[in-house]
Amino acid sequence: MSTSSSTPLVAMENVTVRFRGAQTVHAVNGVSLTLEPGKVLGILGESGSGKSVTLKTLLRLLPESRTDIGGKVMVDGRDVLAMNAAELSAYRGAVTSMIFQDPALALDPVYTVGQQIAESITRHEKISAKAAMARALELLELVRIPSPERRLKAYPHEMSGGMRQRAMIALALAARPKLLLADEPTTALDATVQIQILLLLRQLQRDLGMGVIFVTHDIGVAVEVSDRLAVMYAGQIVETGTVRELLRNPQHPYTKGLLAANLHGAKKGERLEAIPGAPPALNEPPSSCSFAPRCRYAEPACGTALPPALSLGDARTVRCIRAEAGLQPA
Amino acid sequence: MTLTLYVEDAQDRGGAGTPLLQAKALTKHFPLGGGAVVRAVDGVDFSVLKGETLGVVGESGCGKSTTARVVMQLIPQDKGELLFDGEAVGTRALSLKDYRRQAQMVFQDSYASLNPRLTIEDSVAFGPTVHGVPKAAAIERARELLAKVGLDPARFAARYPHELSGGQRQRVNIARALALGPRLVILDEAVSALDKSVEAQVLNLLADLREEFGLTYVFISHDLNVVRFISDRVMVMYLGEVVEIGPVEDLYDDPRHPYTRALLSAMPSMDPDNRTMEAPLAGDPPNPINPPEGCRFHPRCPHAQTVCAKVKPALVATSDAEGARRVACHMEIAGSGHSRAPALESAA
Repeated sequence: MSTSSSTPLVAMENVTVRFRGAQTVHAVNGVSLTLEPGKVLGILGESGSGKSVTLKTLLRLLPESRTDIGGKVMVDGRDVLAMNAAELSAYRGAVTSMIFQDPALALDPVYTVGQQIAESITRHEKISAKAAMARALELLELVRIPSPERRLKAYPHEMSGGMRQRAMIALALAARPKLLLADEPTTALDATVQIQILLLLRQLQRDLGMGVIFVTHDIGVAVEVSDRLAVMYAGQIVETGTVRELLRNPQHPYTKGLLAANLHGAKKGERLEAIPGAPPALNEPPSSCSFAPRCRYAEPACGTALPPALSLGDARTVRCIRAEAGLQPA
Repeated sequence: MTLTLYVEDAQDRGGAGTPLLQAKALTKHFPLGGGAVVRAVDGVDFSVLKGETLGVVGESGCGKSTTARVVMQLIPQDKGELLFDGEAVGTRALSLKDYRRQAQMVFQDSYASLNPRLTIEDSVAFGPTVHGVPKAAAIERARELLAKVGLDPARFAARYPHELSGGQRQRVNIARALALGPRLVILDEAVSALDKSVEAQVLNLLADLREEFGLTYVFISHDLNVVRFISDRVMVMYLGEVVEIGPVEDLYDDPRHPYTRALLSAMPSMDPDNRTMEAPLAGDPPNPINPPEGCRFHPRCPHAQTVCAKVKPALVATSDAEGARRVACHMEIAGSGHSRAPALESAA
């Protein structure tokens, strides 16, 4: 974890994402994060916090004509924002790939699962169609799909939700990426299936030594898979730290509120410590703390300037002026 | 602030001892054609006591939403009986129209549940006007209710659904459900689409309203943390059947049905030093089209024995907890033939 170790797999520096349209939306407002090879970062946030947009920036999946991306995005030593079309298509899948919430939309309905995986292998490697199909079979075994030979020839609609999710993971791993991006991959699944997929991802990450960025709104899910967590609010990372530190000693009032609202251990009859109000509209870039209007600890200074990302040592940061003044809320 | 109730027959007719709602052997099958039948709800028995909140949990296809729709009589049951405060629903004693004044529902999709062409005060006032309340009085009450659910009528009453956030729209749906002064409110995944910080606000609101109006809730959710927080008793469903029902803390602390145990241990851990190491169940929940014979859970159950594949276990009271807990498992039925069943004598 020291700075002298090898170059990070992912380094985002002051990334901003703005969507142009009838109304400009400032979706991501100065995100900086790093991920070491073979580590798992969980990004926790509510809808509109910018977590999925941040993830898509790493693959340049946002519509180019309507999106302005600022800052620097380095993955495995490559400048993602500077890539041309050919470089981008060589990069996608082989260095970085992604899994999504809805596998029914991510898989092509008119090709079998085997054809889709084999295509993605031959796209990146000079290999015969037969060898690619054999690799596809290995991948289905890797993600523990029952009767993989049969499933190779199955179309996505012939599979259950959990099995489709496994097939999508196999597809994402086809070209042996170094970085896997996961955008709420278990949110649509039933509880008993969700835990199976989380354990599978954890196992694959360890066995293949991949870096993973896992976006979720569910703290429990983030805890199951992550080494470190970043909490996002209104397009900014408000707090980062190891899972342990963040859960035991949250510093940002929003992180505290989110933990309290998650109901783990909440007993019947107690009042929930709900965060009042709703997240801000992102029509303007933030000029002061975005959370201040909902924050019970807000003071006049919170409304005057953007709080800096303060380092609390060992890759732990928090964007709150109270942390700076040492006035950590009890 | 006190609100006048427009429902004249909302008084407690059956007395405190009569459950507000009793479902007896409720069954709803959907034919698919070609002889296939989705056995969505298959002989479900439960009651909801006055003033309590009954949580209903289960995975997709377990029949929890179909149960809610049958209870609301949005779809008629194939078989079985529904009693509201001791009277059969849809008979001369309690017509459907009278029943629906007293039982209301809030759905998951806050946007789809509201008429996009009505202002929210008109939406909330709509039900009472159908039931004969003069328009002006209904609007006045709608504005009172909007204030109750935390939406300042001066700011919000004239807005349309698309001008509100998801949390605000769900507050409107709650206000509308309360407009007729119901005694029973069915909440079908009513907070599931909301962000966590907003969900907590709405849960607090539901708790306040329950207190203030003496409401009884049926709270359907896939989120076990939320159900634990809001419920007095919890009913666990699997493939169209009730597998376990009991007081919330008993059930969470000591789940008796193997499926309840699996469901609870599938909850993600909140302790980074104590992560889940093994998934409690393999595979997906099976399809309710051709549910397994005998106990419907037996193909996935770690304790299944011969009897489980042959005989369907009845939902019986366990020997402890003063019969408040009922479980449908051969391991709980004396003399069932399962090696872990209690001996016959002790059950007597």
